Amino acid sequence: MTTPIRKRSAFVAAAAALALLATGCTSNTPETEDTASESGGEQSGNAGSSNDEQGDTVVIGFSGPAADHGWLAAINSSAQEAAAEYPDIELRSAEGTNDASLQISHIETFINEGVDAIVLLPTDGAALTEVATRAMQAGIPVVNVDREFSSEFAARTTILGDNYGMGVSAGTYACQLVEENDIADPVIAEIAGIDSLPLTQDRSQGFADALSECGQSVDNRVAAEFTVESGERVTANLLQAAPQIDIIWNHDDDQGVGVMAALDNAGRDEMALIGGAGSANAMRWIEEGRMEATVLYPPTQAADGIKLARLLAQDKGMSDLVQVEVPRRIVLNAPVVTQENVAEYMDLGFES
Amino acid sequence: MSAQGRANGSPLLHMTGVVKRFPGVVALGGVDLEVRSGEVHCLLGQNGAGKSTLIKVLAGVHTPDEGHILWNGTEVTFPHPQAAMEHGIATMYQELDLVEGLTVAENIFLGHELSRFGFPRRRATQERAQELLTQLGHPGISPTTEVGGLSAANQQIVSMARALSRDVRLIIMDEPSAVLDSAEVDQLFDVVRELTSAGVAVVYISHRLDEIREIGDRVTVLKDGATVATGLDAKSTPTAELITLMTGRSIEYVFPTREAPDTAATPLLSVEDLGRDGEFHDVSFDVRPGEIVGIAGLVGAGRSEVLETIFGARRAERGRVRVGGTVVPPGSVAKAVAAGIGLAPEERKSQALVLEHSVGDNISLASLPAFSRAGWIDRGAERASSESYASSLEVRPRGVDREMRTLSGGNQQKIVLARWLQRGSRVLLLDEPTRGVDVGARSEIYTLIRTLSEDGCAVVVVSSEIPEVLGLADRVLVMADGAVLHQGPAAELDEHRVLDIILRGEAA
Amino acid sequence: MSNELTSPENEVTGHDVAPADAPAVSAPGTAGLAGFLGSGLGRNLGLIIALLLLCAVGFATAGDRFASADNVLTILRLGSVIGVVSIGMTFVICGGGIDLSVGAIVALSSVWATTLATQTMAENVHWVVMVFTAIAVGAGCGLINGVLVAYGRVAPFIATLAMLAGARGLAEIIAQRRTQIIRDRDFITFFGGDVLGIPVLVIIFVLVSVFGWVLLNRTTFGRRTLAIGGNAEAARLAGIQVRRQTAMLYILLGIACGIAAVMIMARTTTGTSTHGQLYELDAIAAVVIGGTLLSGGRGTIVGTVLGVLIFTTLTNVFTLNNLDTSTQAVAKGVIIIAAVLLQQRVAERHRSSG
Repeated sequence: MTTPIRKRSAFVAAAAALALLATGCTSNTPETEDTASESGGEQSGNAGSSNDEQGDTVVIGFSGPAADHGWLAAINSSAQEAAAEYPDIELRSAEGTNDASLQISHIETFINEGVDAIVLLPTDGAALTEVATRAMQAGIPVVNVDREFSSEFAARTTILGDNYGMGVSAGTYACQLVEENDIADPVIAEIAGIDSLPLTQDRSQGFADALSECGQSVDNRVAAEFTVESGERVTANLLQAAPQIDIIWNHDDDQGVGVMAALDNAGRDEMALIGGAGSANAMRWIEEGRMEATVLYPPTQAADGIKLARLLAQDKGMSDLVQVEVPRRIVLNAPVVTQENVAEYMDLGFES
Repeated sequence: MSAQGRANGSPLLHMTGVVKRFPGVVALGGVDLEVRSGEVHCLLGQNGAGKSTLIKVLAGVHTPDEGHILWNGTEVTFPHPQAAMEHGIATMYQELDLVEGLTVAENIFLGHELSRFGFPRRRATQERAQELLTQLGHPGISPTTEVGGLSAANQQIVSMARALSRDVRLIIMDEPSAVLDSAEVDQLFDVVRELTSAGVAVVYISHRLDEIREIGDRVTVLKDGATVATGLDAKSTPTAELITLMTGRSIEYVFPTREAPDTAATPLLSVEDLGRDGEFHDVSFDVRPGEIVGIAGLVGAGRSEVLETIFGARRAERGRVRVGGTVVPPGSVAKAVAAGIGLAPEERKSQALVLEHSVGDNISLASLPAFSRAGWIDRGAERASSESYASSLEVRPRGVDREMRTLSGGNQQKIVLARWLQRGSRVLLLDEPTRGVDVGARSEIYTLIRTLSEDGCAVVVVSSEIPEVLGLADRVLVMADGAVLHQGPAAELDEHRVLDIILRGEAA
Repeated sequence: MSNELTSPENEVTGHDVAPADAPAVSAPGTAGLAGFLGSGLGRNLGLIIALLLLCAVGFATAGDRFASADNVLTILRLGSVIGVVSIGMTFVICGGGIDLSVGAIVALSSVWATTLATQTMAENVHWVVMVFTAIAVGAGCGLINGVLVAYGRVAPFIATLAMLAGARGLAEIIAQRRTQIIRDRDFITFFGGDVLGIPVLVIIFVLVSVFGWVLLNRTTFGRRTLAIGGNAEAARLAGIQVRRQTAMLYILLGIACGIAAVMIMARTTTGTSTHGQLYELDAIAAVVIGGTLLSGGRGTIVGTVLGVLIFTTLTNVFTLNNLDTSTQAVAKGVIIIAAVLLQQRVAERHRSSG
């Protein structure tokens, strides 16, 4: 059980590093992606050496949203597993919550306890910015995961899944399908997640931008709520709105179970269904040929966050980089999983 | 002092030709009313004659469709209650409109709170409230207690204090004595006299002719939404004339004579040593078929509690109840009903009727199983039965489809009786059966109760009006403070003697 | 005044007891039909107009895509699940209560009915096991709600709020926050199928609605429900067992939630703790728009069904026109208010003229 996790972590770490170098084209935030740190190079990083070796024991506080969704559950469990790998990490894990004020009090507790580093996946980035800034001012490095703070000073390092990049990957893949199959005037539909979330807006924007590269656009768009039931409900209506669809991009594989049920209920299978996030269900469907592809949004971000927090607390750098310090910002890649490469990614799939 | 008011002569309020229509009904079809400063002007009329609507027009709750209101000789309109209050009109409604969760002082100043910069002045409010209560002869009511915890009579006092808390020129009192005992009524009258001597006008509504005689100056009689007589002298106009004006027919306010019931018959209802802590104790009596037993006593004597305990709505702590020799399990209304007991409770609207539902549904509420098979209601049979009971009890207006709330008090009472008759109840417990019922309809209710008794029912009547108990019942229990002080044939008692027993607090 | 009134052999059997001078009763049949047209149609006229307007908009903007049989069935299928819950909710609200836990009960029922253990048992016996499990879990939750409200005298709002939190939490624990896929294809095929072209889910909704209508309008159960909602004290003093009746209402709604859980399981082929989110609001909205008094005592099943259809059609029309969710939300709010206002006006006119 532990071996694949370790492999997976290593893979993601490498992917993260690569992604960092390639973020220029996909990032929606124009500020410097550079790793430059204002403090200069006087702290001696541990570049080139093996970071996995045991160092001083560090206390890391971890807080995330309530795991009411397969992807979030995977986030939490991967964080736990990552911490368990290192004997020098003492993980303090706060109860998952969707209440921003409760999460703020969790962070305050961490500050009072004087933890060495905090890994935080905020319920709402803006709402947690203030308390994260306080932690930073108290000398505790904060690793911000997935949902970004509204201030640069609230986190030492930010690890983001690339939501815009996900849309771009899905859109580019859709363009590729149109081209390969030579579809004239294709009908392209999009099943988004909760529309009020910035991550949904980023994904849709990326999808639209990539489609416009090949002269296409979204013909029908609906928004579900990341739940199976809502996925089924909106898809049933969508299928009525568009009697014939060539390509559907569904943002989220959790709600994808409902999307698939709606397709089955309506007896519709003419379209290529592209998913998002990369659940184990989706991977199996790809293997079986029921689904065309899915765009990965790895639930291992928190695990990476734990690892980076450990390095930060131990004053180490990332050994694969020349740079002696942990970078300010890491944006994970959003690769497309298809029937050809699904075997490779199967291990990353999370059970929804 | 009222003579002085009359001497002023100039009308404070003069309404002419006031018309108010509601969808499908003309509630007021041309009302004239003239009230002078410093007089007690009594408003008489049967239920449904338009008194309540008239009050609400005066209070600014309803806007009249036609007609004129002159206030001190100037034409005015009261588009909303605030407007009427600003002119100095205060209203004490029959259904007390106090907020139970607020304190006495807060209720008195509700809507015109004493405040500074939006912050209530609690000390001043309480002091002023205390003054008003003292002026009303009730210094014992604390301004800081919650109104919900007060007795009905004390709530009435609070309601009056609220009326007086404003600068009033005219106070409307809608049956203020309904919840008061005689001492409290006397106190109320003292306050009324004080007010009138200060030039305040009072519009006084009551069904009790003796009160009107005592406190009233002039009388206006309403019938069917119109004024039939105005400016009658309250002291000298003969009762028969007033009743004739109200009803359009002469009604003898007398109880039909009847033969003495068979005292040898087996009791249908037996109450043995019934008691509940803090409410009543050692209540025992029998009621035979065809017999009417009355319970007399002041409000708070424990009369209603006895009835509710017999009915199972309160659980008997001691003693037992038997119907036809079989013990009725205590504390269960359903079992009491099954044993053949029916209760017409004191508060008809809140305890007996579903006002938004139809008359028919209200009648059949207790008898549904009789009309249904496997839970399925035979609506034809239900309707036929309810209609027949409604028509044989002469419920007006006819028909069982109209909403319950549209019926007058007397007809609502008939519906409650119809419910138990339909259920086949043989023991009828009637708590204040004529409360809120106008004089004309009262004798109808009396006749009805007698008829039910003659048909073989065992009837228990509770009433605050001693003549009613004495006139209706064959045998009378006199209660005070939860104890039965006297039990004997009605023929051996008169009003004076009953009062004497109660006031002396011991068996005569 | 007739002595027959209280004759000792007084068995309440309708005509027999009627005094001789009782007026002739109109034939029940005509009264019933006139009554339905008069009260049912009349009272719901505003809602029918609103629904027709909505359909007109749908047809004008989406044409055949809206009017196709396929789309109509889609609307009905989508409305079926929340519709069944709303019928149950109508009873609880008529009885003067409220239930905020319906969505959570749907989630718990769906999860419990799709656990490995239940599914294994279903495989060995029949998929009916899953149906029974869902309904039993729903009824059990309803029983707890009912006992708390009726016998424990906990305010319905509080009791069911606790159930809302508790049931969904339990669902998460049981499912370990996973989505449980239903393996039994026969279950999916049965409930996903149709009879004579009408989807089984829609048939269930129709059956539940008819059952609800009959129960509310033609039985002692319904009459007592309305009585305790209209005046609980009067009902108690008329010998009705108010507490037992109240508890039954919550059980009834729990059963409706169990049925809805089966339907949602069939539609999504899954059981998960995220099913039924915000059902409480959707159901209460449909019931109240339908014309049922939130304070109890008066209710209409036909109105509730119309309320559900209006909501479902609304979403469908929006989707057909490719409108974004924010616009949908605004339009939804406006249309709710418009429907309620229209309904009130028409109902008032109907009442005053009748």
